[in-house]
Amino acid sequence: MNIEAEKGVCLFAYNNEQIDYINLAVLAAKFAKKHLGLPVCVITDEGTYSWFEQSNTDDDIENLFDYVVLTNVEHPENTRLHHDSPWTEFTAPFQNSNKHLIWEYSPFEHTLLIDIDYFLKTDFLGNFMDAPGVHMFNNAVNLRNDQPHFNERFLSSQGIPMWWSTVVYFDRSEISKLFFDTWAHVADNYNYYQMLYNFPSNLFRTDYCVSIVVHILNGMVPSNAIGNFADQKMVNMSQRDDLCEVVDQDNWIFLSNDNEKNWLDILVNHKGTDIHLMNKRSVQRHYNKLMEISNG
Amino acid sequence: MDERLQKALEFSNYNLTITNQKKNIKNRVKQLQIVHYTGGVFTADQSTIAFVKTYIDLGHRDGIVIDSKENPIAISNLQEFLEKLMTAYISSAQEYDVEYNKLRKARNIKQIMGW
Repeated sequence: MNIEAEKGVCLFAYNNEQIDYINLAVLAAKFAKKHLGLPVCVITDEGTYSWFEQSNTDDDIENLFDYVVLTNVEHPENTRLHHDSPWTEFTAPFQNSNKHLIWEYSPFEHTLLIDIDYFLKTDFLGNFMDAPGVHMFNNAVNLRNDQPHFNERFLSSQGIPMWWSTVVYFDRSEISKLFFDTWAHVADNYNYYQMLYNFPSNLFRTDYCVSIVVHILNGMVPSNAIGNFADQKMVNMSQRDDLCEVVDQDNWIFLSNDNEKNWLDILVNHKGTDIHLMNKRSVQRHYNKLMEISNG
Repeated sequence: MDERLQKALEFSNYNLTITNQKKNIKNRVKQLQIVHYTGGVFTADQSTIAFVKTYIDLGHRDGIVIDSKENPIAISNLQEFLEKLMTAYISSAQEYDVEYNKLRKARNIKQIMGW
């Protein structure tokens, strides 16, 4: 795709029978526009976009996404187990095999690629959009400010550190091109790298791909070829947590579940930082309120 | 349940919640203290501010400052840089003060949540 704008935000959205990704992308786009003031590009397929046109007003269709990239990619089978609180689980196809092609899809010189469940509540990421190269998070905390489970911090028990592909910033430099080319190589040879790095094999995860790419580009040692958003931590709401109430623009109240004693929860009021809302159904339960405040 | 144990468990839950909220505020403050300046990333903390002020007090208008990624960054206008650091520090400290005092006065979980 030709470069059409200096800076912008990109989102992938492929609907399945369980999760309405395009409507979540609408929310994520609204929050991104509100806090960064940048154009948004959605990468989707014809079926999903057709549903978007049916389920939104003409005004929203005109204004929500500044650029639409329709792809026709045959995604390999990749089924993911989702949770909605500790008490409900379901499976759904996870279509992420072409995420590295964002290098080709993005119409921007400086691109911020965010997952549709990553909600911008600040302009923090906007400050990195002049940075050279690639940035991703390599630190995360849950709603209790604890580190994630070991297997979300390292690829295996003696493995390399995990980097998150939830948020990827990149420019059009040579290092960025090298990053995405290497990502494509790792994705194409996923089974080989699964044996080499010994990460779980049940799901194709782009987090594993980018972690390996960083390891390779760093020369197999800890280094800083890839930026990490000034070492800030990404805040993850786990799929076992629940969004209880959206009070206003900034006050969002959650039930944070105890991983080891799943009958125990504490309340958390999360405000003032961007947040990765991994329990997508809980977001859908508060869709109307979130839409309302994203307009405010 | 023994009333004494019930009260202890209620306090434990309150304490867990308030401690977590304090950590949230600290994380927010750390983020507000980040200053992007001429390609470098700096933290507007007391030691950085004191260092830059010392630079200026010794008669320098420009200089090299090592940023948080340990890169040397040439600062052509130390005074302007100091003002940026102070602005970030003051706004983050003010937010910390407001939020911290709200928590200090909260006597139950509902108040901690701001419900």
